[in-house]
Amino acid sequence: MDLDSYYEITRTAEFIHSRNFTRVALQFPDESLKDSTRVVRALRDQLRSLKKCGIEQNGGNKDVRLFVMADTTYGSCCVDEVGALHVDANCVVHYGHTCFSPTTTLPALFVIGKASISVSNCVENLSNCALTNGKSILVLYRLEYAYSVRHIREALPEALRLSEPESKLEVHFADIMGSVMNPSDVQNSFTGLLGTVGDCTDHRTFGVASGNTYRMGGLCWTLPDGHRMEDYLLFWIGSDNSAFANVVMTFNGCDTVRYDAAENCLVTDASQPKRVLKRRYYLVEKAKDANIVGILVGTLGVAGYLHMIRQMKELIAGAGKKAYTLVVGRPNPAKLANFPECDVFIYVSCAQTALLDSKEYLAPVITPFEAMLAFNSSISPCLRGSQWTGAYVMEFQDLINSCPVEVNKSEEARFSFLSGGYVEDFDQQEEENGRGDEGALALVSAAQKVLQLHDNSKSLIKGTARSGPEYLAARSYQGLDLHYDSSLPEPYLLGRSGRASGYKDEKSRQVE
Amino acid sequence: MVKFTADELRRIMDYKHNIRNMSVIAHVDHGKSTLTDSLVAAAGIIAQEVAGDVRMTDTRADEAERGITIKSTGISLYYEMTDESLKSYKGERNGNEYLINLIDSPGHVDFSSEVTAALRITDGALVVVDCVEGVCVQTETVLRQALGERIRPVLTVNKMDRCFLELQVEGEEAYQTFQRVIENANVIMATYEDPLLGDVQVYPEKGTVAFSAGLHGWAFTLTNFAKMYASKFGVDESKMMERLWGENYFDPATKKWTTKNSGSPSCKRGFVQFCYEPIKQIISTCMNDQKDKLWPMLQKLGVTMKADEKDLMGKALMKRVMQTWLPASTALLEMMIFHLPSPSKAQRYRVENLYEGPLDDMYATAIRNCDPEGPLMLYVSKMIPASDKGRFFAFGRVFAGKVSTGLKKKDLYVKSVQRTVIWMGKKQETVEDVPCGNTVALVGLDQYITKNATLTNEKEVDAHPIRAMKFSVSPVVRVAVQCKVASDLPKLVEGLKRLAKSDPMVVCSIEESGEHIIAGAGELHLEICLKDLQDDFMGGAEIIKSDPVVSFRETVLEKSCRTVMSKSPNKHNRLYMEARPLEEGLAEAIDDGRIGPRDDPKVRSKILAEEFGWDKDLAKKIWCLGVQYLNEIKDSVVAGFQWASKEGALAEENMRGICFEVCDVVLHADAIHRGGGQVIPTARRVIYASQITAKPRLLEPVYLVEIQAPEQALGGIYSVLNQKRGHVFEEIQRPGTPLYNIKAYLPVIESFGFSGTLRAATSGQAFPQCVFDHWDMMSSDPLEAGSQASQLVIDIRKRKGLKEQMTPLADFEDKL
Repeated sequence: MDLDSYYEITRTAEFIHSRNFTRVALQFPDESLKDSTRVVRALRDQLRSLKKCGIEQNGGNKDVRLFVMADTTYGSCCVDEVGALHVDANCVVHYGHTCFSPTTTLPALFVIGKASISVSNCVENLSNCALTNGKSILVLYRLEYAYSVRHIREALPEALRLSEPESKLEVHFADIMGSVMNPSDVQNSFTGLLGTVGDCTDHRTFGVASGNTYRMGGLCWTLPDGHRMEDYLLFWIGSDNSAFANVVMTFNGCDTVRYDAAENCLVTDASQPKRVLKRRYYLVEKAKDANIVGILVGTLGVAGYLHMIRQMKELIAGAGKKAYTLVVGRPNPAKLANFPECDVFIYVSCAQTALLDSKEYLAPVITPFEAMLAFNSSISPCLRGSQWTGAYVMEFQDLINSCPVEVNKSEEARFSFLSGGYVEDFDQQEEENGRGDEGALALVSAAQKVLQLHDNSKSLIKGTARSGPEYLAARSYQGLDLHYDSSLPEPYLLGRSGRASGYKDEKSRQVE
Repeated sequence: MVKFTADELRRIMDYKHNIRNMSVIAHVDHGKSTLTDSLVAAAGIIAQEVAGDVRMTDTRADEAERGITIKSTGISLYYEMTDESLKSYKGERNGNEYLINLIDSPGHVDFSSEVTAALRITDGALVVVDCVEGVCVQTETVLRQALGERIRPVLTVNKMDRCFLELQVEGEEAYQTFQRVIENANVIMATYEDPLLGDVQVYPEKGTVAFSAGLHGWAFTLTNFAKMYASKFGVDESKMMERLWGENYFDPATKKWTTKNSGSPSCKRGFVQFCYEPIKQIISTCMNDQKDKLWPMLQKLGVTMKADEKDLMGKALMKRVMQTWLPASTALLEMMIFHLPSPSKAQRYRVENLYEGPLDDMYATAIRNCDPEGPLMLYVSKMIPASDKGRFFAFGRVFAGKVSTGLKKKDLYVKSVQRTVIWMGKKQETVEDVPCGNTVALVGLDQYITKNATLTNEKEVDAHPIRAMKFSVSPVVRVAVQCKVASDLPKLVEGLKRLAKSDPMVVCSIEESGEHIIAGAGELHLEICLKDLQDDFMGGAEIIKSDPVVSFRETVLEKSCRTVMSKSPNKHNRLYMEARPLEEGLAEAIDDGRIGPRDDPKVRSKILAEEFGWDKDLAKKIWCLGVQYLNEIKDSVVAGFQWASKEGALAEENMRGICFEVCDVVLHADAIHRGGGQVIPTARRVIYASQITAKPRLLEPVYLVEIQAPEQALGGIYSVLNQKRGHVFEEIQRPGTPLYNIKAYLPVIESFGFSGTLRAATSGQAFPQCVFDHWDMMSSDPLEAGSQASQLVIDIRKRKGLKEQMTPLADFEDKL
């Protein structure tokens, strides 16, 4: 595929030109960074030629400056607005896969790219699937295949007619959203998501529902009246990536099949998503036991992230836990293990990077929705134990409005499924004792609690501290100031030399 | 039955010297419940107004069906002693009225936790032993438990009727059997020498052993007979009692007592002559319907029968006659009242066991003195499901002070008691207050009390709690449950919570994979739990249970073949480590709490050096029961260690019995580059690597099985055990019986369906009792493809939703 059509140079240039952007940031994912110079060159040429025509019309335009951004701080699916603002850009062109998370300040153009697909094979699988299943089908796809969906759509009725003329099966296709995003649109979608606000009567229904229109990760589709998502079989075209996981989690009540375009085969294993869902359920239970919660800022662009963080803080404080907000860029086990005091992390990020399999992490990483399940008791009185019937919300914009944070303390001691017994949340008692306990008395009760905690032989060192200082106090090593026996300075020692992959003395050891 | 109003009952509760709190404990099927029933029939307190239509103990349907007790049930008895029988009583008392709070506990090992809960709130125990089967494994277990709680025991040799009717043994032979039973019990009790409790062994001649036939409702102690004969021989009662047991012989021909059998045919042991034979005679006369002989005999004994009873025949007649002559209730209750301590007496020495705080503070003093005016100290030992679904009574014992309706209680929460309740039969009666020394049920606290709790008054802020109970069994058998209909999940969760509350032993937890797990002490226990869960706590919503799951442990066979090294993510830090198995017995010592992470390092290193041959310096350097020296990264390595030891490299089961030694470390010069983030994951990896290089093995839990069966069933037992990978290590014939006692080890994983198979193979003659005993190393190598252990590892990993293949060593170990 040639550069022009893959990177949609012409369209991009027209977009920039028509809106009179002067400083444009081009955001590349790591894997296509190698094409960036050629893209920039092509784009510049195209803009020049456009400008020539432009000058003839209005005259006096400055050259458009193009900046290449790479190695994004967070997920490469999100628009890196902060990065773009560093170069004072007034527009971002985002290349590659995207999650279509709304932006806060800058308009953005999405150039998704195209992945190859065998249309005939796909249609064949799809029609087979439709005929054997007997359910209506909703076709969702990875954005890279959007360009070919049109062909599939055209070819499908033919295929269906061939194999079974009488068939009245419905096959719906999701549409791709416009590739241009303006922050002002976002304001709309923030509250109503295209539909009117009044439509959102039931926030707890599946996904991003407004009426019967659903939007998710750049796709949107409308179901006929009276149909529910559960009535459909989801047919996903694309690889098993985070976008797919996102769909499966959100519509976990639906049957899902995946057509792998790279392998040209159909994957119908349904147990995997169930496993994932159960695993998430476990993480929610685990979060309920947490005393110290780390809020990981996983985005600086997605609209409403500040609001979300604030809401999380309130939620955590309301549940009587301690929250710390951390900005570590893209999380990995080594980074998060630097905060061993945190019992759980909440990852506030765009929907497609939020699901993190935290098996390798010291503490689990959960999504804001899961945090709400774990810490909130207001959604329904018994939600803070369980009332999770499987509904799953990924995009946090949907969470923001729907769940007002008000914590009414549940009276009962909390049951912890991790320790397999009831646990007392000391905090609640504290509050019931009246906040009047001040000074010495408060200290006494705190000391008592510490004693009680230590009597619990089951408790490991981790998980008993309720705040950072308390954790530090429990550590055996608390700082850098080693207590030397003598005040004399230590004699100098010759250190190692060489590189970390193998110091010089080690090298020699190896040779021997 | 004694008809009482709540007020009358409440009145006696104030006489703390006249209360006896006691539990009935025994091996399964030794006749606790039957015996209890006969006591209740005679002296049970029931509410006046419902006297007509009560059943004694409201047994659960499944209890009746299986013929075993599942939950312990409490009942109050009332007994009025005669002045005459109290003549020799030396202790303090308040008149002749006695209140006995009796708790009948289950005998099956799976329900031992119920026994533990019962023992905590009682001061004395009636140990019931089958005269034929003798002291069995569970008798021993509960007895040890009782003595550990400083519960004074009395013994009853039960099922006497079998001697007379079924086995028809002669007097001397019977005496030897009884003697052996008592001796066996005393051997166990003697190991618990306790200066405060005094001698806890039981002696028939002192009246602390009774002989009973629960089924027929009669019992006697030597006191009964001593009274009868004392006047005849012109000696005092105590002298007479001594003669009725042990090496004392009487020859009616010479009318002389000797301490040796004189050899003359008429010379017989005192017990045989004066106790056993008369009973035997009466029984055989009754059974043979020789009424003409019977009536004069009874008249001589001072037993009068009612007119309508005289028409009875055979067994019914015998029962009636024996009940009238030697009523079980009189013998047993008098024995309890005489020889078991009152709360005020018992708490004097139990306070040390009970109270966690300093023994000289006001709370300890109040408990010690059983002071009704002191501060409230109440221990809730169990939660009893109430008739309205989902609510619980908090059942416990008042150790000091008074608990009353409306009182504000403090556990961790401050809450007021809605009602204080006492049990009158199956009916609960609300009372104003309950003073110390009594058992009580409280309404309105179930939301705050989880399983056990210490309750005090609101203002008693400096009170320490009463020590938590220690259970003798552990929940090793687990099943995963899920609901059939996904939307029932909230019901399931709620049900599991209630289940956990109602049973002190069951553990409801969640697996990493998100499955709900119920863990119980044994198959039967789990079965009962699941039934309760579905029927009572989930309103009948259907649940699916998995096959039983057994948790394994991971360990190593030998020292790592080399020192392994892992680099931190930034490659600047290195940890070198080796793993080796812990010395034999050390893991158990840690289990028992003899060695713990919070011990004084000096004491710990002494134990390790002296008992397990550790190098002294090494022993001092233990970090987390495993490792060596290095200050700064210590916490991080410990965190990594905890993480790794919780999820071993083989199948993410807990590790056990492995010592990890940090051999060397290379750290980056800047603190920022050797923080937790670098060290914790590295520590985890290096621990895994050293585990894998040290010949890792799986440990499986093993039951100790005790089976009693007649000789002809032995073949069946052996073949079933063989088939189930069990092995017998002890086989003893019970002297004087055709029964064999077999002890064997059986892997827990093979135990499912074991008792069913065994019953089938022995036509119902063998009944096993399984108790978790130890961890046993599986000899096959889990790293070798196709071995039994590797198959097991794959199965576990599959269940947990992990990759089937273990992570290879190369992923954990780094090369220079």
